[in-house]
Amino acid sequence: MNQADVSKLVSKLRVKVLPRHRNLPGPKGPEGRIDKLRKTVTGLIKFERIELNYNRADEARQYAERLISEAIRHGDCHKPTMDTADFWLLEKELVHKLFKVLVPRYESTNLSYTRLYNAPRPQYGRSLDKVVLELRGNPYPDLLNNKSNNRLLIQNVLLDAAKNEYRQTKIAEMAKNIGKVGATQNTDSKINEAHEKPNIS
Amino acid sequence: MRRQILCLSTKVTQNSCTKALPLTRFLSSQEAIDRRYHLFTLEKKRQLDNVGRIEKIEVQYKGVPKSCTLIMNKGISTPYDCARHLSEWHVESSALALLDGSVYWDMHRPLTENCTLELQNFSVAEPQQVNKAFWRTCSFVLGACATIAFKDTVPVKLHSFPGPDIRSGSFIYDVDLPTLSDWKPTQQELITLAAEYIKLTRLNEPLERLEVGEELALEMFVENEHKTKQIPSIARHNGKVTLYKVGKHVDISKGPMISTTGQIGRLSIASVHKINGSAEGDVKQLYRFQGVALPTGVMMNHFTFSILAQRAKKLNPVKSPIPKPVEAEEKEEIAMKG
Repeated sequence: MNQADVSKLVSKLRVKVLPRHRNLPGPKGPEGRIDKLRKTVTGLIKFERIELNYNRADEARQYAERLISEAIRHGDCHKPTMDTADFWLLEKELVHKLFKVLVPRYESTNLSYTRLYNAPRPQYGRSLDKVVLELRGNPYPDLLNNKSNNRLLIQNVLLDAAKNEYRQTKIAEMAKNIGKVGATQNTDSKINEAHEKPNIS
Repeated sequence: MRRQILCLSTKVTQNSCTKALPLTRFLSSQEAIDRRYHLFTLEKKRQLDNVGRIEKIEVQYKGVPKSCTLIMNKGISTPYDCARHLSEWHVESSALALLDGSVYWDMHRPLTENCTLELQNFSVAEPQQVNKAFWRTCSFVLGACATIAFKDTVPVKLHSFPGPDIRSGSFIYDVDLPTLSDWKPTQQELITLAAEYIKLTRLNEPLERLEVGEELALEMFVENEHKTKQIPSIARHNGKVTLYKVGKHVDISKGPMISTTGQIGRLSIASVHKINGSAEGDVKQLYRFQGVALPTGVMMNHFTFSILAQRAKKLNPVKSPIPKPVEAEEKEEIAMKG
């Protein structure tokens, strides 16, 4: 079978890609869709965290992921990659950012390069789903406020102390057993000696 | 009883409670609780009236959603009132206030001067002080629960609770039960105690703080000989005793404490151990009530919590407040020599 391995031609994205693209309808048709996505990808690379509607964010995310993975695969001396970057990044100084900042940042990672969070929505009112799209490793404070790893929280202090005590008891038990085993061996050897002595004499 | 309270209340309102009234008869625990509660509310009212002309102070709030300046009443407004200006989330989650970045202040203690205010909940970056206040409050409420839980025929005399030590795995309250010489609680009784405790937490009562003079404190705890013995040493520094009230229960504690009992979430009253005192001491034996609790909103797997509850069943190694029996000490010495 003289078929090329697809995974070597196109980099596999680490985000879910829908079987069909979204149209993102507008007066300018498909061209307008590409324009919108170029603006969003440029904004994402520039600001590293943006808030927008879900459909456009999810669509633009795939293009951004593809762009970064191409940049990592081929580097900045590859003509087609440079053309792609030139096409997607409307502000040309961002091409330098892509190759000099983002490529070193994501070279060794095995996660996706972007993250998508659901943004809060108003309780009443009709609005599209808002999301926050960001590059991983951005300099802003974390959006998820998960502090449960703090060792000083009361539940963690209690669990730490319980774990510590359990270990102490186990160690104490082991120490006891070692002493016992040693003692029994000693007595055995004494008995042996006692048995041996009469033989010698 | 009623006449005595009336007489006392007139004395307190005139602020001349220098002479302790001799109690003519033995007070039952319920009567004693009512009496203490009454005296507490009267003294609180008197202190509020003493504030006089209302002055304003500026409280600079730092924190989410944004820092702002609040104009509050001097000697009347508390950090709790400040939280009520901000949002319901602040009111419910704040356990302790931090004034000027250094002083930990109860949520229900009136502010006295211009200050900066930060509200601390259980998930702040450095929650050591909040945790201590939580543990202290748990001990305090355990005392309240122990006084309520027994039948009227069993007199309950609270002794004391030690400073909070979270790593020991349990909060404790040492209680004197003079009529029960050898009591070992069944599992059902422990569950009943825990149920009483949960009832108290569900009431969501604020923990009110009050500083009173030594004489009034002695008057309030007149039927409890342990507390009356402790009060002079507590009041040695500045002649003041700090009292806390939750519901109708009033007890001595150094503080600070958390905002309301509703912030105590999952809990287990693990065990009651008997502590023996020396034969010649005043107190022959005490019962050490032990439990473990978590703040509201802390999610923990039931298996993980059962580990904590099992650990809390062991006798807490904190030093007993009464002298140890002499024989035990001798034995220990011999053992050490050996």
